[in-house]
Amino acid sequence: MGFILAACALTAGSAPPGGQDTATPSLHLLIDTHIEAAWPEHLLTATASSDAEFLRRVSLDLIGIVPTAAEARRFLESEEPDKRRHLIDALLARPEHAWHLARVLDDMLTERRVNTIKSYDVPRDRWLEYLRRAVDANRPWDQLVGDILASDGSDEMTGPAAKFYLSRDVKPALLTRDIGRIFLGIDLQCAQCHDDPRFPDYRQADYQGLFAFVHRMSHFHDGDRKANLIAEKAEGDVTFTSVFTGDIDTTDPRLPGGLAIPDPQLKEEERYQVKPESKVQSIPTWSRRLLLSRELPQRETVGFSQNIVNRLWATMLGRGLVAPVDLHHAANPPSHPDLLQALAHHFENTNYNIRDFLRELTLSKTYQRSSRLPAGPRPTAARFAVAPLRPLSAAQLGWSVLQVTERIATNFQTDAPQSPPDDSWRLDIYEPFEPDVQLVVSAFQGLSGQADGPFAPTAGQALFFLNAPRLNQLFSREWSPLVARLVGTADSTKVASELYLAVLTRPPSAHEVVEVCSLLDDVSELSQRSERVRNLVLGLLMSAEFRFNH
Amino acid sequence: MRFPVPQHTVSRRQLLSGTLGALGVSACGQPLLAEELTQRRKKLLFLFQSGGASQYETWDPKPGTHTGGPFQSIPTSVPGVHISELLPHSAEILDQLTVIRSINSGINDHFFGHYAIQAGHNLPGHPVLGSVVAQQLEQSQDILPGYISLRRDGPKAYTDVGDAGFLGAKYEGLRVINAEPPEYLVRPESVSGLLMQSRDQIRRRNDERFLQGRRPGPIHAYRDTFDKAFALMTQRDLFNLEQESARDRERYGEHDFGRHCLLARRLLEAGVSCVKVTHHDWDAHQENFHWHEVRCGEFDRTFATLVRDFSERGLLEDTLIVAIGEMGRTPRINQQGGRDHWGKAWSMAMAGCGIRPCIHGSTNEDGTEVADGEVNHGDLFHTFLTALGIDANENYQLSGQTSPIGDPACTAIAEVLA
Repeated sequence: MGFILAACALTAGSAPPGGQDTATPSLHLLIDTHIEAAWPEHLLTATASSDAEFLRRVSLDLIGIVPTAAEARRFLESEEPDKRRHLIDALLARPEHAWHLARVLDDMLTERRVNTIKSYDVPRDRWLEYLRRAVDANRPWDQLVGDILASDGSDEMTGPAAKFYLSRDVKPALLTRDIGRIFLGIDLQCAQCHDDPRFPDYRQADYQGLFAFVHRMSHFHDGDRKANLIAEKAEGDVTFTSVFTGDIDTTDPRLPGGLAIPDPQLKEEERYQVKPESKVQSIPTWSRRLLLSRELPQRETVGFSQNIVNRLWATMLGRGLVAPVDLHHAANPPSHPDLLQALAHHFENTNYNIRDFLRELTLSKTYQRSSRLPAGPRPTAARFAVAPLRPLSAAQLGWSVLQVTERIATNFQTDAPQSPPDDSWRLDIYEPFEPDVQLVVSAFQGLSGQADGPFAPTAGQALFFLNAPRLNQLFSREWSPLVARLVGTADSTKVASELYLAVLTRPPSAHEVVEVCSLLDDVSELSQRSERVRNLVLGLLMSAEFRFNH
Repeated sequence: MRFPVPQHTVSRRQLLSGTLGALGVSACGQPLLAEELTQRRKKLLFLFQSGGASQYETWDPKPGTHTGGPFQSIPTSVPGVHISELLPHSAEILDQLTVIRSINSGINDHFFGHYAIQAGHNLPGHPVLGSVVAQQLEQSQDILPGYISLRRDGPKAYTDVGDAGFLGAKYEGLRVINAEPPEYLVRPESVSGLLMQSRDQIRRRNDERFLQGRRPGPIHAYRDTFDKAFALMTQRDLFNLEQESARDRERYGEHDFGRHCLLARRLLEAGVSCVKVTHHDWDAHQENFHWHEVRCGEFDRTFATLVRDFSERGLLEDTLIVAIGEMGRTPRINQQGGRDHWGKAWSMAMAGCGIRPCIHGSTNEDGTEVADGEVNHGDLFHTFLTALGIDANENYQLSGQTSPIGDPACTAIAEVLA
């Protein structure tokens, strides 16, 4: 062990081969060093993913959809030595990346919430488009969070960002809890009424200090402009009583672990830009909301950087270094404290660059492990020695089902402009498939207002796969180019290899080829053959191998 | 924490025979013996009076006072106890009911009330009663969902506020709208049973191979949902009310609430742990008295029929029937003859599951405040769960978090727990 550790440390400390223009070691090497240093000896045999496994995984994680059979064949047949790195860079440059990451951030930031009154919210497509543009421009995380916390819904550019507040009905208690959970990785819910007896780190005063930033806000519906805005008052103090001790305390806005920030002394007549009146969005001269948007997204804020790197890690590796991701406290420490700190520092030093961070994560051996268990005792998930089985999100599943039909890819070939300046045109191609994807999404969507918990499949979802008439239509010979193509292929061995490549992104085993042949070889009649082919596609679609990102 | 139940197991063979039934391959599916599966399991029938029923026009009338409104009170099967004349059938069975007349929930809001009354907590994110019961009383061999919610289509949004919370999608109530079977319970017409069987076999074979050398937990969890789906397909007649006698359909009532209560009986008998039936339109801001005549007319006969019927069938012993809304209605009668939202002093009724029939608590003379035996919704939540054999003082242990089942600041009402 000692020797290996030293070797790893050496690698990590020296400039990476290939001479990159930075003196700091690449983050992905550092990740592997930290993860492997904590392993018992038998885990050092943990295997890397196959190219096929890696391709499917990284496509789902970076562009939210499984690769086409053609893309899979190209990658698997490529003998380029550095093809995984090139693939990662190519995927990060595709327009689908921003689109996918927007949905990931949407899940993270709103957790599928909508305002109790739907028309009081920002429509989801506007919000997604806002996030997509932010990701596309690689807006640094601290600035994005600043925009979100500052938005009162009125600005042309950042207006949709008010969804964070509006989807929570601008309710101060809910906002306090979710600002803590989502931006700082701490759940202060129980500290609302008292110091949490379970977690000494979480203090009632921390909750109330955060509460003081948001409790002057309220929802304002501008009926004439059909706009939903955040109104704010210039007065109102937070006073609270501990339910245990009966002590009464009062607080100015204060971030957990930080200093209280008093309001500036303003004369009565100077307190408002727009005074509160009926049918008016009141705007104070000193806004605690804007104060929050400046103060929270700072490297000095306890938990700010660690929370986001931990959340991104959990998204890509199935489990946070702190798990659950919103419960960081003394009794629930990170599995790899030094690594978490190193990730946070790297993220800060690269100017909160999400794309770079995802690139480094996916380049790591840790990300690229096989989902097959190594020999010996089964390692716990927190060892990160085996790729986890992560259920596809509802959107990943919906788009992947549509991808398998091969109808999307067909449109690419026919509709691609001759020499596009960029390939953002691709996104228009996806548009017509939205209703079918939504059908899948509505069957597999997680619960509103809840963090994604452990995998909890339902019988209703299985019934959807088994019996949804539309799903059956999508894989008819008339609708699905894949089915048509396979029906038209006489050689059953070839059908098998194309089938497995298209649905499961891998070549079939010899045994699987035999199975496909035995199912197809005795039928020649067209409609019967179509049914058998559709059965094969849908049978594989329903299988666990398709359901999971593995 | 759980009520001890005899363990039964369903073998894989039995399950598969169910599967084949669903596929239409064998002549008939092996229906799982409902009795065998559900023996002694406690159950909850939750009748939700959405919008908020008036305590004055139901369980706590105040005739002759300035708040009492035009209706009289009538004697009941319990000597000395009167309830509103709008509930004549319930009056006859009052000796079987537990009526709480002293709820102070302090909530005057539909959305929040709908959540908090069902979740027993004011903090957001907790599971509602049906989800709690489904999770706590779940048995490994269960095929049917633990929680089914029945309502008509097109109600206001707040009838569905809150559900499984942090327990996750598995315990979310299966919604059955207008007594229609859930979606996708029937094979598409173009797919024959044989074809479906072969499709499913392709899935199962691939799962077997994928399982090799991988963590089995999630793969098994996913596979089990298909077994359950096939079993549900064999039981789709559960949702067919035509199979109930004309007499039952008549006495339960030929309206949404009556039909849904009869369907609830079918589902509970088949092994569902909790069925919620929403009775809509109690929010009488205008013409409260006319409106309550109409609402109580539906509610009263169905409710009394239900309690009697469950009692005769021996279901009442293990089934807790709860009738409650998200709040009560104001003592003050407004200018439109309506009563508004009121959480300060209101009533509910329940029966069964060993709960002691009695009248708990009281309000003052004109019903403006609780006079005696005050309880809140957290206390009610503890009471319901205790009756169902679930210890509400326990914690959930979920992915590293502990969270109390019932609000620790609340307690069960000892007086009504026999």
